[in-house]
Amino acid sequence: MTARVNAMSLWTVVPARAWTSAALLIAAVGALALIISLAFGNTGINIATLALLQIAAVLSLATFSGNSGIVSFGHSAFLGIGAYVAGVLTMSKGVQATALPHLPQWLQGHELSLPFVLVVVAIVGLAVGYLTGIPLSRLSTGSAAIGTLAFLIIIHVVLIGARDFTRGSQTFYGVPRLTTVYVAFAAAAVFILVARILRETPLGLRLRAARENEVAAAATGVNVREARHAGWAVSIMLAVIVGALYGGFLGAFSPKDFYFDLTFTLVSMLIVGGMLTVTGAVAGTILLAGIVQILRQAETGIDLGAFTVPGIFGLPQLGMGLALLLTIWRRPLGLVGLIEIGPGWPQQSLAAVPAATAPSSSAAALEVKSVTMRFGGLVALDDISFSVPAGQVTGLIGPNGAGKTTLINIICGQAKPSAGAILIDGRDMTGERPDQVAVAGLGRTFQNIRLFDRMTALENVAVAALAKGHSAAVARSLGMIWLEQLGLAARAGDFAGSFAYGDRRRLEIARALALEPRFLLLDEPAAGMNPAETDELIRTLEKLRNEHEIGLLVVEHDMRLIMRLSDRMVVLNKGQKIAEGTPREIRDNPKVIEAYIGSKRTQH
Amino acid sequence: MDIFLQQIINAISLGGIYALLALGLAVVFSIVSLINFAHGELMTVAGYGMFFAIAVSLPFPFALAAAVIFACAAALLTERFAFRPMRKADMTGLLLTSFAVSAILRVLFQNGISARSKAVPLPAELSGAIDLGFFHIGIVPLLSIVTTALSLWALTLFLRRTTLGKAMRAAAEDFQVLRLMGIKANRVIAVAFAVSGVLAGVAAVLWIAQRGSVDPLMGFVPVLKAFVAAVIGGLGSLSGAVAGGFALGILEVLFQAFLPEAALPFRDAFVLGFVILILIWRPDGLIPAPVSRRS
Repeated sequence: MTARVNAMSLWTVVPARAWTSAALLIAAVGALALIISLAFGNTGINIATLALLQIAAVLSLATFSGNSGIVSFGHSAFLGIGAYVAGVLTMSKGVQATALPHLPQWLQGHELSLPFVLVVVAIVGLAVGYLTGIPLSRLSTGSAAIGTLAFLIIIHVVLIGARDFTRGSQTFYGVPRLTTVYVAFAAAAVFILVARILRETPLGLRLRAARENEVAAAATGVNVREARHAGWAVSIMLAVIVGALYGGFLGAFSPKDFYFDLTFTLVSMLIVGGMLTVTGAVAGTILLAGIVQILRQAETGIDLGAFTVPGIFGLPQLGMGLALLLTIWRRPLGLVGLIEIGPGWPQQSLAAVPAATAPSSSAAALEVKSVTMRFGGLVALDDISFSVPAGQVTGLIGPNGAGKTTLINIICGQAKPSAGAILIDGRDMTGERPDQVAVAGLGRTFQNIRLFDRMTALENVAVAALAKGHSAAVARSLGMIWLEQLGLAARAGDFAGSFAYGDRRRLEIARALALEPRFLLLDEPAAGMNPAETDELIRTLEKLRNEHEIGLLVVEHDMRLIMRLSDRMVVLNKGQKIAEGTPREIRDNPKVIEAYIGSKRTQH
Repeated sequence: MDIFLQQIINAISLGGIYALLALGLAVVFSIVSLINFAHGELMTVAGYGMFFAIAVSLPFPFALAAAVIFACAAALLTERFAFRPMRKADMTGLLLTSFAVSAILRVLFQNGISARSKAVPLPAELSGAIDLGFFHIGIVPLLSIVTTALSLWALTLFLRRTTLGKAMRAAAEDFQVLRLMGIKANRVIAVAFAVSGVLAGVAAVLWIAQRGSVDPLMGFVPVLKAFVAAVIGGLGSLSGAVAGGFALGILEVLFQAFLPEAALPFRDAFVLGFVILILIWRPDGLIPAPVSRRS
């Protein structure tokens, strides 16, 4: 089975529409570049080359920012690294001797050709991306954007300080102009393909899931930190490569060419077009490159015969600023929004799905062992023990403030208990990360539904299937199967954000099931449902228990649902377990009546 | 000993300016989740206010007042015409809005006033130093420290004693609750911007006192630093912003004083590298802002 999966080519791993979409974009960009080159002669070729390089640069940025949702302000500096490294390596020996007299021996006189220098630069880029990604991926989402800004400044300072290699803030000249319009087009084409395909790979899916909802992504088995690290490293490698080509286009440059102005340009292009799609990144770049070209003509003043309009210095910046404001004001997702150019949603042929693994030992259970949680002096949970056997439904109830949420967080790995342990099939999961707990066999849904709203229903479910080590193609097929089971197959290609409430609940359950969990934690699954929807939910859950041998842990306020569904129930009150037993026993337990039902009666 | 004390004075006066600016960023961020990159342009506006006031020969104290009033007005105007329409945008959207506002204002300064720097003549008394017997202390750093201390004290009083100040602190904790209590959101937000403008104005005066000129890009570098300071302290945390500002000032002066000659050009790289280390150690900053968490 594994051999089969490994043998599957990238062609089938990525949905066919991604390839079509990339091809359409490349064709459009090529046609546009051709028209400009033909219409405006040499100037046109220059304009087209610059625009093509800008497309590649914005796509390198989009690879990280678009998929992760973290806007990077640092990419322009990494372009700078590429430009300087490639500059030193391609420069002719004679120029090098005058421009960089203190260059160390081992860097002198390489005069590399374009293909070689691109290979070297790609390796350098990957290394730089990997190293800078180590701190970056550890930062929280908010701090990460700021981390990228720090990189921008650090690299700028280093480029100016490393005079022997870069001539400091003076112009670095004599770089052979190897980047012709053809090279630029090839780069743009390759980058469009890479960026478009990457979205659909496991890495792209994981990054996007984490972008949409970090907590839910972790609960779906995504190691957010690792995904961001990988995404960043790839993105920086691309940026450094574009930088090399950009340097080979300019011929002479200085560190300030790779500082805030370039960042502002690249980020504006990405945002105006829409950072969530590759189509958006390309469209935004073309649009703003056009506007900037026109404004640059006007910058020196326009001669209208009778009188001249005085020039305004910085007009291109003004235009970009206004375009950016208008976009954020009127179309926050960018001009293109969520749409990728290309065919609609034809069902591709599904990959073969491996047979489900048989459930392991019969003694399987999710065990909560003497869990205690203290917040300062407050004991939120006091020595709680119970177990959730596989193939049964365990109900967890308790009045508000009983400690249910704290207990759930501990079971799912979001919080570490002060004492005690959580065991899944006998394996100690205490202190493991949420994504590790998820992969180990615990799926969950959330009280306030957490879906990946700007991803399709199928992608939502596929992310979970990926966590079990399936290839992207198999993950998609499994995703379809789960969507079918919950009656959502017809809407597989729709964005999760467009689903109605009841469907959102079911989609969340489908996603949790795609983890092939041994245990499923449902946090108030009937919240906000009407009686008809609740009945439907009960039928679904009973079917699950019967067909899949999954242990269900249901936290619920809806007594009708929990009494009907549960095999056993656990009752918490004020951080203590006050009862455990069958629904009938619980109903008759005076302690429970006092703590829970009793207090409710007195209210009426 | 002399040099060491001198460095401490420098660190505190520089850190004070960063603290004022970071505080301005934090006041706004805590209420509307906006990292205001155009804060630097408020400084520049303050600088031009001072420049024009001196150019029309107003007495020096009026020039100082003009700086603060100009910055405050500019803060209110940008709030009304740029940030208020975008209030529904997310944090990144707001940050980018401020990026755009900053770029647009800079182009306006360059064309409307001058791309070159304008000298701001300062009274001669400011350039001296006080001899304390065992060491000299420059008047500007001294005034800078005093002004910073007074500003921080005034802001604390405002936040703790006045109704508006209390409303602002409440808004920073939970904006929705504030609305439920019947306090007008627009008013609180406008006051936050006004406070940040005043702080930017004061910081601009101190900054100009050290360099004696104003240009369209003047606010860029200090606000970049302030931004870093606000992050070190914990974005949106007021006491964090002050702590971050002083920490950054101290770091910069320490690295400047004790890095070997060859490494000096890389000072900012060292400082920011250190900042990244702090963030890895405490991702939410030294004194994190209070966040109401509920699953």
